[in-house]
Amino acid sequence: MGDPQGRGAGSAVRRVGIGAALVLAAGTLSACSSDGKPTLNWYINPDGQATLTSLAERCSTDDYDIAIQLLPTGATDQRTQLARRLAANDSSTDLMSLDPVFVAEFANAGWLAEFEGDAADAVVDDDVLSGPADTVQWDDKVYAAPQWANTQVLWYRQSLAEQAGIADALQDGTATWSQVIDAASENGATVGVQADRYEAYMVWINSLVQGAGGDIVSDTEAGVDAQVDIDSDAGRAAAAVVQQLADSPAAQSDLSVSREGTSLGAMYGDGPGEFMTNWTFVYKNYEGTVSDEEFADLAWARYPRTVEGEESAPPVGGIDIGVGAFSEHPDWAIEAAQCVTDPEAQLQLAVNDGLMPARASVYEEQELVDAYDAGLLDLYRESIEAGGTRPKSAFYNQISGAVQSTWHPPASVDPEKTPRESADFIRDVLQGKALL
Amino acid sequence: MGNTPLRKVGIALGAALILIWCLLPVAWIISLSFKSQESITNGSPGFFPSEGGFAGWDNYVAAWDNEQFRRAIFNSIGISLIATLLSVIVATLAAYAIARLEFRGKKLVLSTALAIAMFPVVSLVGPLFDMWRAIGLYDTWPGLIIPYMSFTLPLAIWTLAAFFREIPWEMEQAAQVDGATSWQAFRKVIVPLAAPGVFTAAILTFFFAWNDFVFGISLTSTEAARPIPASLSFFVGSDPFNRPASLLAAGAVIATLPIIVIVLAFQRKIVAGLTSGAVKG
Amino acid sequence: MSATTTAPAGVAKTPKSKNASDRSVAENRLGMKLVAPALVVMLFVTAFPMLQALWLSLSNYALTAPDDRSFVGAQNYVTALSDPLFWRTMLVTVGIMVVTVFFELVIGFVFALVMHRVIFARGIIRTSILIPYGVITVVSGFAWQFAFSSTNGFVNAWVPFIEDNFNWFGEQFPALFAICVSEIWKTTPFMSLLLLAGLAQVSEDMIEAAKVDGATWWQRMWKVILPNMRAAIMVAILFRALDAFRIFDNIFVMTGGAVNTESVSFLTYRQVIEQFQIGMGSALSVLLFLSVLVIAFGIVKLFRVDLAAARQEG
Repeated sequence: MGDPQGRGAGSAVRRVGIGAALVLAAGTLSACSSDGKPTLNWYINPDGQATLTSLAERCSTDDYDIAIQLLPTGATDQRTQLARRLAANDSSTDLMSLDPVFVAEFANAGWLAEFEGDAADAVVDDDVLSGPADTVQWDDKVYAAPQWANTQVLWYRQSLAEQAGIADALQDGTATWSQVIDAASENGATVGVQADRYEAYMVWINSLVQGAGGDIVSDTEAGVDAQVDIDSDAGRAAAAVVQQLADSPAAQSDLSVSREGTSLGAMYGDGPGEFMTNWTFVYKNYEGTVSDEEFADLAWARYPRTVEGEESAPPVGGIDIGVGAFSEHPDWAIEAAQCVTDPEAQLQLAVNDGLMPARASVYEEQELVDAYDAGLLDLYRESIEAGGTRPKSAFYNQISGAVQSTWHPPASVDPEKTPRESADFIRDVLQGKALL
Repeated sequence: MGNTPLRKVGIALGAALILIWCLLPVAWIISLSFKSQESITNGSPGFFPSEGGFAGWDNYVAAWDNEQFRRAIFNSIGISLIATLLSVIVATLAAYAIARLEFRGKKLVLSTALAIAMFPVVSLVGPLFDMWRAIGLYDTWPGLIIPYMSFTLPLAIWTLAAFFREIPWEMEQAAQVDGATSWQAFRKVIVPLAAPGVFTAAILTFFFAWNDFVFGISLTSTEAARPIPASLSFFVGSDPFNRPASLLAAGAVIATLPIIVIVLAFQRKIVAGLTSGAVKG
Repeated sequence: MSATTTAPAGVAKTPKSKNASDRSVAENRLGMKLVAPALVVMLFVTAFPMLQALWLSLSNYALTAPDDRSFVGAQNYVTALSDPLFWRTMLVTVGIMVVTVFFELVIGFVFALVMHRVIFARGIIRTSILIPYGVITVVSGFAWQFAFSSTNGFVNAWVPFIEDNFNWFGEQFPALFAICVSEIWKTTPFMSLLLLAGLAQVSEDMIEAAKVDGATWWQRMWKVILPNMRAAIMVAILFRALDAFRIFDNIFVMTGGAVNTESVSFLTYRQVIEQFQIGMGSALSVLLFLSVLVIAFGIVKLFRVDLAAARQEG
């Protein structure tokens, strides 16, 4: 150990030099590409990476290149990463893929550049489905461009539904959660949902409440003074569904930590299968990974009803493309945002990755019709149009966090208590009277 | 005690217990990293990969193919090495003064070091984030190197001071009397004696920087500076809806390899450093 | 170790300059110069931000609504201290601290005794005991989270009386148990090394003498070994307790704070980094800092920890 120390000082200095050079390199890397052409950074969520990468290439022009930067998986983590950059007035955030629920918050904070004039008209024209079009507007201005829309349907095995005798009710779209849970319990099957303490649990609760004709909050334009409606018959009906599932043998053992991916395995596991509410990616997920025979047994139906006689409100998600308010090239970024959300881009995302278009016309494209079962495509479109969006509030993150906090774990949900407690808690959190 | 055979059995049992304690979870994460992702999705309980659920090196290849993960390793190595180097230089100066010189404020330095060793790191995240975004250090290497330096200094100073106290400094003078210049005396006599201490302090500092999570997730937002622990916690597989447990395990094993190599190579020095630097009777 | 404490300082003062007081002035100056960089770096990242947190904690300030910033005095503190969530996280944190430090101490001491006496495979044991110490906490969290997982883990199959599909992360206590296991696994080896160092300082002569006097193993342990290791044990407790009080990584990775497993650190992180409530988050930061001070003070007083030893004053 004696000898190397002699060289220590010299190599130390060199290493500091190299380190400093690396630091500088890392700092400047993002600003310019080698030939002096500016680079627009596009922060994408991980769905459909390959397609998005090719989109970034196609939409690069003689004036600028688009470079992809990857965000984490969960919607909340994605928001955190982007918001931290934007709060730091980061000029390298040019384009970003945003979960629709965060558009209002970002726009309100002044972090998104507004789409004005022709650009605004182009991204929310008549062809765009009403749900997605609504998500990109805040304060009567357009702050993002809808890229794709997501929705949940009920996935199940035809053989299981027939055995349980609810195949017809499912196909009519009249089946209720209660029926589905009972059918699963009586036949040794399970019901797959997303009930970990994260955004998709809020998605489920929101759809249950809206499916009973209610809302979690309303008058969200009032910001922290929004009206909290979850303590209602609709809220209690939603809580009853969660409680029924948590208490039934149909609940999966990892219910309180279940996510989109965790219940996929139960469909073709040892038992008779499952009923699972999940996003559109499920179809492509099973296609090719299970046997043809098993795949032929896969069936789908509209999201179950919360209460009898009331149409369900399927969850709606997706991605909107926003432009950073501090971008050095806002005009180009808005142009690029239009390019990566054009019909061709939406078609590719749908065909390659199962991410459904936000434009009605794309559903008619032959390539998409060929890639999917026609009935499934109709169901997707119907669900997106009938779907319930989550509250559009600049304080959405707090609302969602408060709901998750009071409704988790699912086994603790009680229709008599939970809606009331969550209403009080949402109010307190919005008013800054309670910690979250 | 007297009963030597019984005692021997007890010690052997204890030794076996220690080995199981230390190595079982490591074996587990390695075993997990060989479960195929498909079998994870379908559920594959048990310690070893199920039959047909063995993935070979697939998860390692996939983890390594992940651009973000490779960047994170690069960041972690770079940031940890620079922080270690700077921290050890600064600590060496301070430790030399503490071990050899009498000066006012010695107690202040030692008290500050103690206070920082006990400091709740999370309480700095807010103000540091606010400061870093104002001065442009957010999501950069220096933005992590600076806090790593501050929080490794106490351990580095203690370790080095403990080593320096044991150096027979009079040998330096003896060498000078024998005709060496003071630089030669320093280089030939003191440096070899001090080197093991410096090296040990460097290893411990590196461990700290490599392990940090709080700063790593709060002061970065892209792979420009995101270190391995933060990157692991955001690990994204090819299927975004499925947290890839076995892929993550492969990433975790890769992230742990440097530590294992260092431990295997320098076990003695680390033990000496940990015990001298942290507890003295 | 104790023998070296006086020598260097004495050597340093060997007469080279004629005037002793000149020399001590110069030494004083040199000493201060040498420690200045360390002091500055340490304070720049702690004291300065802490003062800023103190200031920020007096406003209502969210990054997502920058225009609504207002001065609210001590309101954030009142809100936090009257909030049941704050006290629940405090209880959880203190609970984790007490449980983990207790088990680390007991198991670590057993490990230290074994390592002290073991003759064969010394190197292998010491090398393996460093592995948990070196493993990243996040990795330890993942390893144990998956180990406890009902779908892909092995714990349910190995532990008797636990159903195969038991979900450890569905309720508060099982989830906290899993978190504590990860924490204890990772830090016990470190604790055992600290105790081993303390054990090595207990003089064999004293133990032999006690043996000759007919003391049983148990008596020797309580009357001779433990009292002589007091300083080492107390310092180890102080450091580990404060480390455990700051627990964050394992909770973040294993439960994300679900099922009431948030610690004070986790709550603070969520306020600042996820909610961007800089005002309230800063108030929590200050409260977290004060809690650590109180706990440190409590441990030092209660166990009469020798602070000079903790400070490493030679």
